[in-house]
Amino acid sequence: MAVDARDAGGEQKVLRIWTQTFASPLQSASSKVSGATGGFFQQIWNFRGTAQENEQLKERLAKAELELNAARQATAENERLKGLLNLHEQTNIQSIPARVIARDPSVWFNTITIDRGSSAGVTVNMPVVTGTGVVGRVITVSPWASQVMLITDEKAGAGAVVGQLGQSGALGSVRGRADLGVGVIEMRYVSGLEQVEVGDNVMTTGQDGIYPPGLNIGKVVDVKKGTATQAHQILIQPGAQLDHLEEVAVLLYHPPQRSTPQQNSPNTERSR
Amino acid sequence: MSQLKIAAVLLISIVLQLSLRAVWKPLAYIDFPLVVVVYIALQRDAWQALVVGTLAGLIVDSQSGGLIGAGGFSKTLTAYIIFFAATKVNLENPLLRIPVLGAATVVDSLIYVFWHRLLGSPPGVPLVQTMSYKLIATTVVGTVVLYMLDAVMSNESAQRRQFATRRRVARRSTGPLRRR
Repeated sequence: MAVDARDAGGEQKVLRIWTQTFASPLQSASSKVSGATGGFFQQIWNFRGTAQENEQLKERLAKAELELNAARQATAENERLKGLLNLHEQTNIQSIPARVIARDPSVWFNTITIDRGSSAGVTVNMPVVTGTGVVGRVITVSPWASQVMLITDEKAGAGAVVGQLGQSGALGSVRGRADLGVGVIEMRYVSGLEQVEVGDNVMTTGQDGIYPPGLNIGKVVDVKKGTATQAHQILIQPGAQLDHLEEVAVLLYHPPQRSTPQQNSPNTERSR
Repeated sequence: MSQLKIAAVLLISIVLQLSLRAVWKPLAYIDFPLVVVVYIALQRDAWQALVVGTLAGLIVDSQSGGLIGAGGFSKTLTAYIIFFAATKVNLENPLLRIPVLGAATVVDSLIYVFWHRLLGSPPGVPLVQTMSYKLIATTVVGTVVLYMLDAVMSNESAQRRQFATRRRVARRSTGPLRRR
């Protein structure tokens, strides 16, 4: 330091540079070794608390996963309920939200049970829908629950049209078929002269006196083309996910009354 | 006490039948009430078997989309057939229960579907496929359930087995005497 003080900007600096040049690799290596050694001992020291910390982290991760799943479910439920709200805006028909509480206990039929009954205003033959499509119709009503026949059932027919109502002439009726299972329904009586393609939407026509017109039924997934004298054979994938139903809406729809034809046949007595 | 046990077991089987499909669809192929009906019919108690069969069938029918009474009839008839067979042939052997359970599933399904077809309300699923799934599921799970029921209702079945063993021993011991 005395030399350095005497000759601040001269040869002493050169000496320092040379010393540093030779010393720095050694210093660096020793620093690394001491760091690693210190780190190693530090790790050993910390290792005692690691197991406990690991357990805590695992618990927190499990909680976070549960919360994440709950949030995902809430989001999905929110989407479904939004769909039901949109449906109400589109159709202008009052509806009652309901939750699916059971499925048919026997494997032979496709029915579900919902938690709304006559006390909520549900009556027999009211249509049941989700935001994505028709589910079926109410077949039995009790005060606090109702049984719904899914549209995939053989006895659950509905008037339908391929394409937009009023623009397409591809009218027919849809119903389930035992050999097709729950995933697909059949559309019958569509004239072979009508243009039907895979991917076309199928809507209700309202002619069945149960479902209001303009509800989405599903999409065409298979067409066997017909001829002038033979109808198309059309298979439809329902829009509603019938295997995973959770929330549905019962439409408080009362179809317009149809006038009964007057019987004026010659041998019939007229009622006064 | 035994009636209470039977009522409790029947109630549990019906609750399982009504609720398990919502958990996982294939579980609906296991016919728990039928397993209970088969068990009671195998105990050679005709009235209990018939009453349990009728009740179980009617309750499941009331929650199903099918005709009310079809399941009750099919289970009652199945119970009677098994009871009748059990009085003629010794079906106490645990191994024999497996084919009995399988046959009961087939008979129950056929009668159920027959009534629905006869009354113009055919089921909405393919018969052979559904019956096969039901046969496999009910036979496999039912065999285990029968063992569990044996444990629950141990008193009566143990007594019956004891009597059967005594009879066998008695026959063996009296056999040579007769020859002499």
